[in-house]
Amino acid sequence: MHRGDVFRMRRSFILSGSVYLLIVILLIQAVCAKEFDDDDDEVTFRDFNLNVGDRIDLGDYQMELIEIQSVRDGLVVMRISKIGGSLDEQRALLLDSSNNFDGGAETKGVTITLADIFDEQSAKVRVEYLPSIGTARKRASVRPTVAPDKPELSVEKIFEKNQMSVGDEVKVTIIVKNTGTGQAQNINVQDMPPLPKFIYVAGYPPKIKETLGPGESDSAVYVIDAVKEGSVPVPAMIVTYTDSKNNAKSNSSEPFNVLINPKSKADLAIRIEEVSPIALDDERLLNISISNLGTASATRIEVTGEVSPSQGLVASDLDRSFFEILPGEEANYSAKLSGQKAGGYTVHLKASYDDGDGYVIRESTAQLAVLEREYKYQYLLLIIPVAILVAWIYRRYREYKY
Amino acid sequence: MLNVLVLGVGQCGNRILDSINKEAFGGNGASKLAKYYLHPKFPSRVETLAINTAVNDLKELRFTTAKDRLHVPNLHGVGANRNVGKQAFMDNRDMIMGEIEKRGDFDVAFVITSTSGGTGSSFSPLLINELKRQYRNITVITVAVLPFREEGSIYLQNAAFCMRELMEVEAEGILLVDNQYIKRFSGDIATAYDKINGMVAQRLLFLVESLDSEMLSVTDLGDFKTVMNGGLRIGTMGFYQADSKNLSIRDAIENSFKPANLLYPANVADDAARAMVIIQGSREHLDVDEITKEIERISSSAGHVFKGIVVRKGRPKVLSVFTLASAPELESIYAQAARGMQDEKEKRSRARKQLDDAFAHIEDLEEIY
Repeated sequence: MHRGDVFRMRRSFILSGSVYLLIVILLIQAVCAKEFDDDDDEVTFRDFNLNVGDRIDLGDYQMELIEIQSVRDGLVVMRISKIGGSLDEQRALLLDSSNNFDGGAETKGVTITLADIFDEQSAKVRVEYLPSIGTARKRASVRPTVAPDKPELSVEKIFEKNQMSVGDEVKVTIIVKNTGTGQAQNINVQDMPPLPKFIYVAGYPPKIKETLGPGESDSAVYVIDAVKEGSVPVPAMIVTYTDSKNNAKSNSSEPFNVLINPKSKADLAIRIEEVSPIALDDERLLNISISNLGTASATRIEVTGEVSPSQGLVASDLDRSFFEILPGEEANYSAKLSGQKAGGYTVHLKASYDDGDGYVIRESTAQLAVLEREYKYQYLLLIIPVAILVAWIYRRYREYKY
Repeated sequence: MLNVLVLGVGQCGNRILDSINKEAFGGNGASKLAKYYLHPKFPSRVETLAINTAVNDLKELRFTTAKDRLHVPNLHGVGANRNVGKQAFMDNRDMIMGEIEKRGDFDVAFVITSTSGGTGSSFSPLLINELKRQYRNITVITVAVLPFREEGSIYLQNAAFCMRELMEVEAEGILLVDNQYIKRFSGDIATAYDKINGMVAQRLLFLVESLDSEMLSVTDLGDFKTVMNGGLRIGTMGFYQADSKNLSIRDAIENSFKPANLLYPANVADDAARAMVIIQGSREHLDVDEITKEIERISSSAGHVFKGIVVRKGRPKVLSVFTLASAPELESIYAQAARGMQDEKEKRSRARKQLDDAFAHIEDLEEIY
């Protein structure tokens, strides 16, 4: 390339860049002139979302969110200071109320309004000012984030079993757990046991620590007895506590139902197997089963039997003892019957046992018959001679028939 | 024990045989149903056989077993024709003798027959010959029944010829039973037949029983044969049972020879050749002296008399058997038969002549159609 061409190209490049730069400068000046015109005219405002510790710088003013004092009451604390020391004020701001500093925005001061409180760590703040004093900018806090002090207690009430019988002892466990981040204080549990379906035995009222740090839990156990059958609603249990700022809080457990069945008892049933009639001088086994249909063990079972009328049917091994028959199980045994006289007989069995509450008696009877001596082929006594006679006569008839 | 064969030939023989079987069931006292509940009781081993060409006659029998009824197939009888009867026997001889042979061996045979009928009168002489030929030592006694005289000329003719043939065979003797004679003591013919049959049966079984019994005084089959060989070898039997009013054994013996108790009209004192007296009764009635005296009395006129005494409980019973030295009644039968035959012959020739005269009317004529 020619040296003259290079020179021409460099010169045109510089020329066009200067033009562009000039245009940009002119545009910036035009915008700035407009802003200055506005600042001079009226109050402007700007909204900021601040976390605790965040600061808004506006000219010489510095506005820092110190604390969210009460979310419920809509109260935060902000500190407003001015470089030079002419203003250094910490003020509690109420939601939606304007707070003027240095006479307010109209008089080259600032007006701060708490627009919203998000939670205990953040809030929305509107700053009104004249543009002439500067531009409001947010300076995020450089302080490390302090964990929020927010205790959260959960409470749980657990019955050892949801179904029980009258007289059963039940353990009730109360568990209080701090699942929050702050310490819970003045913890108080209000438990209303389902009276009068239960009676207290021990451990009531449950004692729970007064304070629980984050993640800590405490439990208490008390024992009650079921006294009345039925479905029993167990009401919710309430725990009340305060956080470090003495804010009162509470939580409650879920209500639920437990079922109290009738008291567990042994219930014996005697079953005597049906026996077909006994032939005279014949022997037969009488099968007896004693089953426990109850929900508790029957103990010290004594079975005694007698036959009426007492003569004519001999029964041996009718009496029997068992130490225990578990619920749902049965004990079987056999007695030997010997028919010695025809007739109808009644076998009466009586079982006494302890059902857990005391001695109970159960009885059962069975009817038996001892048959008359059976002459099974008695008819042959008639038929055979007649048949022989007929055969004889027929033979003779054939013998003489010509 | 005697082995006895009783053959009833022809209708009359069958009926007497049936009466013998009935007698074995208890005689006249036996119920008609006795055969259904009793066994026949014979004194010895007695085999009976009823032989007939007429099956209906065999069917009439009541006390004879079916196996003891032998039908000789010849249509329905021989129609009183002895020639037909003889032919029928010869045609069936093997079958008849085979049936007899099945019954074993025999010591004595009684052939019971009517002399007047067809089957009996024609079969019996031939049958006796066959028996004598087949059984070497057998004693054959013919019980020949003479007909009622009014029964007809053919029956008399048959009786005459039958008797002659029976006399000619080698049988030990003939015991005559005269229906005409016995009928005097009975009512109607049916009753007379029953009574005659019963009498013959009773006497024959008494005879068999006596010949085979333990006797106080012995008579046996040999004595019986000797008696039957006497005289004409024709005899008859008398029987008497003492009644409770008169138990005298002497009277009983005497009564047994009286005409009223005989089966054929004969006078012992005049006609008897040899005799046998068999006495049965309780011991207290059997006075041997009395018996001997009475036998001696009979012997004085009747020739030799055998006596046998059987002690058995009951009133005295006496059976007398005797052979005849003369038989005047037979002669009268033959005379009557000859007359009848002559009359028949004349009647037939007259009828023939009448028929020939009748035919003479059409002798030269031809049938015209």
